[in-house]
Amino acid sequence: MSDFTVRSDSVDVEQIMRQIRARIREKRGVDYTEEEIRELANVKLETFLDPKGVRSDLLEQYRRLRESPAAPRDSASGESTIGESSRPLVRLVRRLLRPILKLFFPRPVIDALHVQPALNESYNQANALYYELIHNLVLETTRLSIEVKNLKMRVESMSSRLDFDERRARALEGVVQYRPGAVPPLQPPAGGDVQTETGPGERRTRRRRRRSRRRPGGGERDHDVEGRPHRDDAQSETAPAGREPDAGGPAGHDRSDGSGRHSEHDPRARRGNGPES
Amino acid sequence: MRLAVVVQRYGGDINGGAELHARYIAERLARHARVEVVTTCARDYVTWRNELPAGVEEVNGIPVRRFPVRHERNPRDFGRRSHRVFDERHSVADELAWLESEGPASPAMIDYLARSSADFDHILLFSYRYYHAWHAARRLGPKAMLVPTAERDPAIGLTIFGPVFRGVRAVMYNSDEERALIQQATSNEAVPGVVVGVGSDVPDRTEPVRFRRHYRIRRPFAIYIGRIDENKGCRELFDYFQRYARTFPNGLDLVLVGKAVMPVPSHPRIHHLGYLPDRDKFDGLAAADLLIMPSYFESLSMVALEAWALGRPVLANGRCDVLKGQCIRSNAGLYYERYEEFVETLYALESNGPLHATLGQNGRDFFRRHYAWQVIERKYLEMFRALERERPRRTVESLPGWYARRGKNLPPAREVVDGLPSGAATTGTAPPASSSWDRTA
Repeated sequence: MSDFTVRSDSVDVEQIMRQIRARIREKRGVDYTEEEIRELANVKLETFLDPKGVRSDLLEQYRRLRESPAAPRDSASGESTIGESSRPLVRLVRRLLRPILKLFFPRPVIDALHVQPALNESYNQANALYYELIHNLVLETTRLSIEVKNLKMRVESMSSRLDFDERRARALEGVVQYRPGAVPPLQPPAGGDVQTETGPGERRTRRRRRRSRRRPGGGERDHDVEGRPHRDDAQSETAPAGREPDAGGPAGHDRSDGSGRHSEHDPRARRGNGPES
Repeated sequence: MRLAVVVQRYGGDINGGAELHARYIAERLARHARVEVVTTCARDYVTWRNELPAGVEEVNGIPVRRFPVRHERNPRDFGRRSHRVFDERHSVADELAWLESEGPASPAMIDYLARSSADFDHILLFSYRYYHAWHAARRLGPKAMLVPTAERDPAIGLTIFGPVFRGVRAVMYNSDEERALIQQATSNEAVPGVVVGVGSDVPDRTEPVRFRRHYRIRRPFAIYIGRIDENKGCRELFDYFQRYARTFPNGLDLVLVGKAVMPVPSHPRIHHLGYLPDRDKFDGLAAADLLIMPSYFESLSMVALEAWALGRPVLANGRCDVLKGQCIRSNAGLYYERYEEFVETLYALESNGPLHATLGQNGRDFFRRHYAWQVIERKYLEMFRALERERPRRTVESLPGWYARRGKNLPPAREVVDGLPSGAATTGTAPPASSSWDRTA
């Protein structure tokens, strides 16, 4: 998350914001706003997700359509095609005039007119099937893209947690390195008797004593970035955050100097608040 | 020197932004001049009901003259008229009816000011958008100084305010962004103006430990101070904070100080303390890691200035030009415009000790340089002196005639404001805009 190197004499808020935005862009790939992502997700779901509409016999329908025989060529009915009408009177007149009409409509035209309705019907059926096929493809693609998005988010979340844990570990290592006197260096074992005399229990006790001496006076306080020593909260408004020195605070809130602010040398060690795992 | 401070409400316990601003200025200027406050009998800014007695009383040593309000505000009528002038094509008559409906309509107060204007050297009118400021500015033009407390809301796009901004003697702005907005909307660049703002009586010593003990807050926290209202961006704040709290189980808590006019989510890390006295408020600010200002519209955030005075960084809503501009100019706060930025900036402020300390120090310097009372008082006094040296020339333009006033040829105010440039103000001045009376579509 925040990796800003701050010198004590200057801070540029716009620069920090640029860094933050660059980091967000880097994480997410495309710089969509939260609303845009939600909108995209909603549109896809609302428009396409309708599993009930998927037909299981789509392939069968295609086969049937392909195997259906071509329209029969019936010359007699073909000839009567040009005289057909839903109104009896018109049909009668056309039938009477058929010999004359036949002079104007050659046989191939009459055949084509006869076959046309069957072709139209077949075309409509195929069209409906194509529509359904595309619909199903879109549906599946959408599902897949949503699944990919979910997986991406999970990966991103896990990588950010890992990133945070790594930085937290580094920060804690930094604390240990920076206070070499707090923990005596490990000595090679010198025998059973020595271990019992200066065992870990006694070392802990000694460390506790040293801390309790240091707290109230603040004689060994850190200095802030301006080079001024931190003062006690109760004494001045300049003291940061006003933690109760003896409250201890929640787990992971180690205030090594009791001033409520970490040393500038270990900014990350200030709080151990990684994302919930 | 005799000064009148005219404001819609006034009292020791009235803590609206402009009202508190007016009280602070009146009390401070009383050290240099004889100040009289002229106000209404209203306490409630929604209804303007007459609750305080008419006549003269003293508040913190300042004489306060109250006048009754002629009629209470009818919220339904006001809502209807607001919709008409903000969202539809409308006429000047519609805007005047909107102003009357908004109130607080107190003709007696305007008459008093007109009668006794000769007794005052300068008359400070607070809050441009209310009845009293518009009518008083028109009647007292050469003596009227406006403290507009303008936000980027549709009201600034109404044409009736253009002549007022161009006709008053001077304008005391709260921020560079406010000045840029007003100059773009009303073309009042010729009117003398200065960015002043307001100071705050921040105590020299605070007791953050006492605050933590008293309110039993042991974890580190961010604080929000102000009315807990959707219009102040609190809904978005709650949404963002709850998501942040899920991701960072050991992160900051959120402490809310102020009256709630919307439900506060029940969450173990959100602590609503209600309205607090000043001492507790300042102790709370000192105890907090940072102040969050989620508001979209501000002309000046006094609480942000107080946080800076106490060396606390501010996390502001970047969609509010004023707050963003102040964060940039002061280098004492970060800003966010969406959740990712909110969580990153909050994390940066809570985890990066040197950054936190440097922003806090910058805030303290910024406050001392621009908002210490000596600076505020000096700016007012210099403006008074400058105005005394020059003769008043401007008069407020007259309203159009009866027929022209009724022509529905004015664009919706919201559209006008949306068309104005936005963003944090730089050191330059605003681009000129056309005369507001000519702004017909």
